[in-house]
Amino acid sequence: MLQIKNLDVYYGGFQALSNIGLEAENGQIVSILGANGAGKSTLLKTIAGLLKARSGTIHFEEKKIDHLESHDIVNLGLALVPEGRKIFGSLTVLENLLMGSYAARARKSKRENLENVFQLFPHLKERTDQMGINLSGGEQQMLAIGRALMSQPRLIIFDEISLGLSPMVVKMLYETIRRINQERVTVMLVEQDVKRSLKTADMAYILQEGKVCLNGNPKHFTEEEVKQAYFGL
Amino acid sequence: MNGILLGGLYAVIGIGLSMIFGIMKQVNLAHGELMILSSYFSLVFIQLIGLHPLLTLFFVFPAMFILGYLLQGFVFNRVLGKGMEPYLMISFGLSIILQNALLLVFTPDARSLKTGLIIQTLDVYGLFHVPVIYLVDFAGGVLTIGFLHLFMKRTYLGRAIRASADDLSASKLMGINIKKIYALATGIAALTAAMSGVLVGMTFTFYPHSGTQYLIIAFGVVIIGGMGSLPGTFLGGLILGISQLVGAQLIGPGFQLLSGYLILLIVLTIRPQGLLGRK
Repeated sequence: MLQIKNLDVYYGGFQALSNIGLEAENGQIVSILGANGAGKSTLLKTIAGLLKARSGTIHFEEKKIDHLESHDIVNLGLALVPEGRKIFGSLTVLENLLMGSYAARARKSKRENLENVFQLFPHLKERTDQMGINLSGGEQQMLAIGRALMSQPRLIIFDEISLGLSPMVVKMLYETIRRINQERVTVMLVEQDVKRSLKTADMAYILQEGKVCLNGNPKHFTEEEVKQAYFGL
Repeated sequence: MNGILLGGLYAVIGIGLSMIFGIMKQVNLAHGELMILSSYFSLVFIQLIGLHPLLTLFFVFPAMFILGYLLQGFVFNRVLGKGMEPYLMISFGLSIILQNALLLVFTPDARSLKTGLIIQTLDVYGLFHVPVIYLVDFAGGVLTIGFLHLFMKRTYLGRAIRASADDLSASKLMGINIKKIYALATGIAALTAAMSGVLVGMTFTFYPHSGTQYLIIAFGVVIIGGMGSLPGTFLGGLILGISQLVGAQLIGPGFQLLSGYLILLIVLTIRPQGLLGRK
């Protein structure tokens, strides 16, 4: 479903990603791990079109997307729940969700999708008229996820959703992610919480200083391998 | 009383400037010229077809919207993401070009959009006389701001504009084409310039260089009311209008502008982000 080959991404003169190769198959949960600064967010932003790679290719459902703008990528069915949530503070919960269905592919079924989101997050249903900026961290995260779901994605990418949230809330979010995956939506996760990430994922990639250090089925990783890939020697 | 009515007009003058700053964080120095350009457009249609000034809006509105849209789409969008300086310089250059073009085409003669409304007054309970034209101005102001508010709140495009003012990259992730949205916003700002230009043309005489004085009024309104706030701009317009005319009454007609600016200074000192401004 998603194929990344030989991806190089630079911030000015600084190379953030080198020769990244990654594959996500339909229906999988793929986890991307690494220490801070390893390049995880850079990778996600590049996939979503917010950054442009200097070389390499990204294919989504057989289509080449690395040269496309973000708004076109969303229209193809790829959604990103960005780091830091980035909900629209001056819009209400409902308006935030409606923004999620801005993409042409999602406009028609917006009522259905709204119902689905409210089923997943009944908490949000009670707060439809609250302004985004007045929500708690956990509520904002739910809103960010709900918003991404409104675009009817086939692949949804979560960037560090557990940051700053209580363990209970994180547990609930991960259960929600599993439910979303059961609806045959492919999931990509970037997480700091290594244990939880490896438990949930079908495939994992561990980045170190912009390169893929270890990849495969996380159930076959040894603790030594993970530590080495994460921190190096 | 007249101050309040005038304030409504001032609010429309300021809203275009406020929009562009609130959404794109840019200051359009050519906003005054866009207004006066609209006044001259209206003049042309009056002379060609003999329409009532308000009816010329049928032509002026679309013309100005297209102009604003194309300006952003083909000129300003090229300097997206490069800070405030390029935009300031381009808009400044634009204002000079427009002023001089108008001077060339229309000569420096004083003009106005003639309508019978300017001499009519309304007798309110025998207490004071209200020039009908001021009522029209106020109505125009309220209508414009009202429509704008509805648009921003109830339509997908309006929400998209508000969203892109909140968070640019999140908006892109929603499928919003930022370049098109910015072009739309500038088109809408140009529409408000058209409205205020025609109203101003009916109420006062105008010259090719009148743009500057209205730009300053727009700044005053936006600073007092707060950048990026719709109700704030309306409030700012009211306050500026009132303080100008009250000052003229109390101190003397020559002090109209000065009393307006004094209030501006006071607001800047106590609350720099404007009465209802954010950030």
